[in-house]
Amino acid sequence: MTFRTIIIAILLICNFINVQAQNYELGKVTIAELEQKVHPKDTSAVAAILFKRGKTFFTYTGGRGFTANNVYEFRIKIYRTEGLSWANQKVSYYVGYENLGDDSVKFSNAVTYNLENGAIVKTKLESEGHFKNKINKYWNQETITLPNVKAGSVIEFKYILRSENIVRLPDFDFQYDIPVNFFEYKTEIPEFFLYKTLLIGTTKIQTNAEVVGSTQVYASGYKQINSLYTFKDIPALTNEKFVDNIENYRGSIQNELERKRFPDMPVVDYTNTWEGVATTIYKNKDFGEELKLKDYFLNDLKGLLQNVDSHEERLNVIFKFVQNKMNWNKEKGYYVDKGVKKAYEAKTGNVAEINFILIAMLKSAGINADPVLVSTLENGIPVFPNRTVFNYVIAQAEIGGKKILLDATNKFTAPNILPLNLLNWKGRLIKEDGSSEEVEMITSVPSKDNYNVTAAINPVLGKIEGQLRIKRSDYSAFNFREINSGKSEDSYLEKLENDLNKSEITDYTIENKKEDLSKPVVENFSFTLNSPYDIINGKIFLKPLLFFTDTKNPFVQEIRQASIYFGYPHQYVYNFSFEVPEGYAVESLPKPKRISLENKEASFLINTVSDENKIMVQVIKEINKPIFAAEDYDMLKEFFQKIIVSQNEKIVLKKV
Amino acid sequence: MKTPCYSLLLFLFTLISSAQKSTYLISSIKDSLKENANAVVRLDQMDIIIASQRSMNIKTQRVVSVLNEKGLSDIDAYQHYDKSTSVKNIEAIVYDALGTEIKKIKRKDFRDQSAVSGSTLFSDNRVLYLDYTPVSYPFTIVYTSETETSNTAFIPQWYFLGGYYVSVEKCVLNVTFPGNLGFKKKEFHFSEFNINKTVDTDTRLSYEAVNILAQKAEDLSPSSRDLYPRIMMGLEKFHLEGVDGTATTWEEFGKWYGDKILSGTTTLPEETKIKIKALVGDEKDPVKKAKIIYDYVQKKSRYVSIQVGIGGWKPMLATDVDRLGYGDCKALSNYTKALLQTVDVPSYNTILYGDRYKSNIQSDFVSMQGNHMILAVPNGDNYTFLECTSQDDPFGYQGTFTDDRDVLVVKPEGGVIVRTKIYEDKGNSQTDKGSYSIDENGNLSGHISIASEGSQYSSKSRTETLQPTEKEAHYKEYWSKINNLKLGKVTFTNDKENIRFTEDVQITATNYGVILANKMIFPVDAFNQSKSNIKRIRNRKNPFQIQRGYLDTDEIEINLPTGFSIEFLPSNFELKGKFGEYKTEIIKKENNKLTYKRSMFLNKGKYSSKEYDEYRLFMEQISRNDNAKIILAKN
Repeated sequence: MTFRTIIIAILLICNFINVQAQNYELGKVTIAELEQKVHPKDTSAVAAILFKRGKTFFTYTGGRGFTANNVYEFRIKIYRTEGLSWANQKVSYYVGYENLGDDSVKFSNAVTYNLENGAIVKTKLESEGHFKNKINKYWNQETITLPNVKAGSVIEFKYILRSENIVRLPDFDFQYDIPVNFFEYKTEIPEFFLYKTLLIGTTKIQTNAEVVGSTQVYASGYKQINSLYTFKDIPALTNEKFVDNIENYRGSIQNELERKRFPDMPVVDYTNTWEGVATTIYKNKDFGEELKLKDYFLNDLKGLLQNVDSHEERLNVIFKFVQNKMNWNKEKGYYVDKGVKKAYEAKTGNVAEINFILIAMLKSAGINADPVLVSTLENGIPVFPNRTVFNYVIAQAEIGGKKILLDATNKFTAPNILPLNLLNWKGRLIKEDGSSEEVEMITSVPSKDNYNVTAAINPVLGKIEGQLRIKRSDYSAFNFREINSGKSEDSYLEKLENDLNKSEITDYTIENKKEDLSKPVVENFSFTLNSPYDIINGKIFLKPLLFFTDTKNPFVQEIRQASIYFGYPHQYVYNFSFEVPEGYAVESLPKPKRISLENKEASFLINTVSDENKIMVQVIKEINKPIFAAEDYDMLKEFFQKIIVSQNEKIVLKKV
Repeated sequence: MKTPCYSLLLFLFTLISSAQKSTYLISSIKDSLKENANAVVRLDQMDIIIASQRSMNIKTQRVVSVLNEKGLSDIDAYQHYDKSTSVKNIEAIVYDALGTEIKKIKRKDFRDQSAVSGSTLFSDNRVLYLDYTPVSYPFTIVYTSETETSNTAFIPQWYFLGGYYVSVEKCVLNVTFPGNLGFKKKEFHFSEFNINKTVDTDTRLSYEAVNILAQKAEDLSPSSRDLYPRIMMGLEKFHLEGVDGTATTWEEFGKWYGDKILSGTTTLPEETKIKIKALVGDEKDPVKKAKIIYDYVQKKSRYVSIQVGIGGWKPMLATDVDRLGYGDCKALSNYTKALLQTVDVPSYNTILYGDRYKSNIQSDFVSMQGNHMILAVPNGDNYTFLECTSQDDPFGYQGTFTDDRDVLVVKPEGGVIVRTKIYEDKGNSQTDKGSYSIDENGNLSGHISIASEGSQYSSKSRTETLQPTEKEAHYKEYWSKINNLKLGKVTFTNDKENIRFTEDVQITATNYGVILANKMIFPVDAFNQSKSNIKRIRNRKNPFQIQRGYLDTDEIEINLPTGFSIEFLPSNFELKGKFGEYKTEIIKKENNKLTYKRSMFLNKGKYSSKEYDEYRLFMEQISRNDNAKIILAKN
């Protein structure tokens, strides 16, 4: 390389940075941006965020304390009419604090840029495009709708979100369902506050931090920490099937207060380790204190425990009592709201109230029980320990070394069977002494479905008649009960008939629909299936699994970003016994086959045998792993493809 | 003989007074009312007092016994309010199954929330609603509320039956009104229900109904509005957001709306007028002028819903739309009208119900109706209707949202009721032309051109706006019978002039032909298998209707693999009946080639509940024949 080319290269880089730096300021929209017809890296993008810049800094008001000021600046390009909704912007903010002033949001610098006859035309947003909605007593919303926006427009706006709640800074998202060309987020945090910063998503970004002297006027001689996060070309994030929560994959920067350290004052710890998190939560009066109360239920408990001695029985009796008595008001969280006592009287409470009552009763009955903090699927998966990641609390009891997870808010749960949205990541058990331990929330015990079919083929009427027995256990039973318990038998059967290729169902019975929730649900019935097979050239072509044949691959996309989430391991066993009609004989049967992934994480087995006038088919299908990595997507897709092909091989009967 | 009578009366009296306390026993509900019901409305009473043209007071009493969790939504304990409607009081009391009071909910315990929803950016409409967590089922809730409003243009419709899976023990409507305001009413679907009109005088109207059984929702049913009893009410002299109105005919109503609400909203800045005149140039034909302007509006504007005060009924000023480039249906229709005025093309605001389900403005009941506005441009003896909220619709296209229904066209000389465009069944067409080849391993490769017109245009043309992943999912769903489908090149031609949307798609799929020993089996119809899945319904009660018919025609060339000969070919098939006509034909050609022809025509129509199973079997036969398979044998 000659000297000249090096110079040019350096110059180019400087120039590049310079140009970029200039163009990330509001008001400097270029003709090139307005002329651009499609996004250069994602031609299907309906719009793109050309840049998003954010800055968080603190101000101090005597008497009120610190306020976090969060400033955001956006420039967005609209490529297609479907992207016009980006011209409407809504920001919700919290106004329900007990001890703090309301948050506030103020929009400014909102401008639309269009190209008309080669010239840039600016239209500013006036007050008429500006709305404030009082959503309810906790939330307000500021809305703007930019004027004169059409395909091709570039829009800009800025808003400041001010909040006295400095425990959690607003999340800075840098990935959207449209591409982000460039983002930059600066935080300027006084040395009194130490924040834990979390980076969410799969995108690697650049970060930089330095300690500088403060420029604010509220105190002198202290330092602040300036951090800068930046990157470019963040691809759009799209949602897919079998995703636990797409937010777990969205690029975002989160900041949570870890410690306050004012001069001449003791350090206040907010979070840093799981133990720290646990202690802080436990110390709160709406947690630890409430767990200790027990006077309110002692009378009831006495009655419950009469002649019930073993711990297992006591656990079951108490769990059922709380589950039946208490009604969940759909509020989550791990702190009580009105308190356990009031909740108990009203028979209604939030998650913490109901499960605290359960824990306290178990303890009073001599059973070891502690609260477990949980993050639900909707709440997502945190990266580092902090307090705000949990949004739910359940109980863990320990009897003879066996650990049993319990949630009494739901009417269909049982010991070790939790609502499906709790099957997420890890829980955190907290003991009275403040110590804590990790609890695996994702079960490794497979839920089983057993299908037993005895069927006779009637070629004269073109029907198959038979008996079917379906037994569902564990999570499969829970799921069944949750979905179907509210339905009348008639409407359930109507759905079942349609699910079973419009069979006609008679003699339907069900065992254990509601009685013992820890036992399987068993259904028994007779069915008649009309035109259940193809007759081609006088031969009968029959699918071995009849109405249970998988026909559609659940995975259709070519590329996958997120992990594949199944919730819990699931095993399906089908046993079919067909009676071959008189005058017919077996010409061919599907070949016995085993299809499985590495380590049997998913497997499929089909066996077929014929014996005189009987055909036996056994199929075992297993998904043994609740979550697969995105890299396994192709493998899983292929697995489903293969098992569909296998299930669609036919039993062929010929006339004799 | 007198004494026993007297004591009987006394007995009755005590019975009534004691019943007051324990009216809401669950055990006193008749079994017939519990059937198919998630909730039983014990009493649904509304007392409407219209004191004057500018004052209406409504008292609501609703006593609902909720039998299970699904019945919670039948409580309906909520009240909307805004600047001109105030809630005077609102309260609820909960009783357990034995009629014992367990909770009292006062006004302050109702949640107060903005009623902004979905695409609406702003509305000053708010709602007070009850958020109650039941402690056990069944229970009974007694809800009462009272509102006061100055708007008398809308008297709420009264539905004797509020929904599916809910029964009604007793239902009472009382209306009091001054004799000089021209109160009127219209009754719908009373015939199969036992409804008593207890009072009907110059100033009072009352109805009472008892024991209405719960109804089940069934696929393809008409809307509940078209099945169950209801009453529309209105005044000839009414008031709306500060404006008095008088109308006994649509002509008068239209005149009032035009003069009082619309007038003065279509002024435009001079420069815009000049621009528009330049844009239209020498064009003389009014329809062609309208086309140019419609295109201009589509490119310039976008739909944004903002409902403020009278803005809910009065369009935003055309000058504002011109400046801001957005508005709701009224604003954009009115703006388009203003632009058309500048080039001397008349056009009229048109009020209607916008919905996929065809729903009429009640032509014999002059009152404020509708939920949407479009624009009518005279075209010979007819009108061309313009949907001004869409950036994509072809000029004059009415798709499936505003077609075939009675609408109110507001002309300067007064309103008229007009039927919008009817898309004939045969014109709702899909024409498929293509070919596919199967190789010796059963792999398929093919291409097809799908041209859609009429009402089918509206569903298909949306494909153009899909993201690549959505597009892929769409075609894999569309051809869900083809496993292992891989999309090749996809091109769209959106011919807005002739309203035809054409998809050209190339596909491949492995293992389309299933190989069994030395045979290969696959369905002949690869591209257009019927997807209709008509549910089996136990003891169907409701009639059913097919709102829009269609005609699909396919012609597909099939290249069979070499080294195979045909062992079995499905026979040609034809099915004709009241629901439609279906025909398939397979023509053998030389060199292992076949031509597959299929046509499927479905009639629109209204049918009785008895005919439902017949329809299901008709569609099932079609879907079975669509799946007919060919067998090839290796030579």
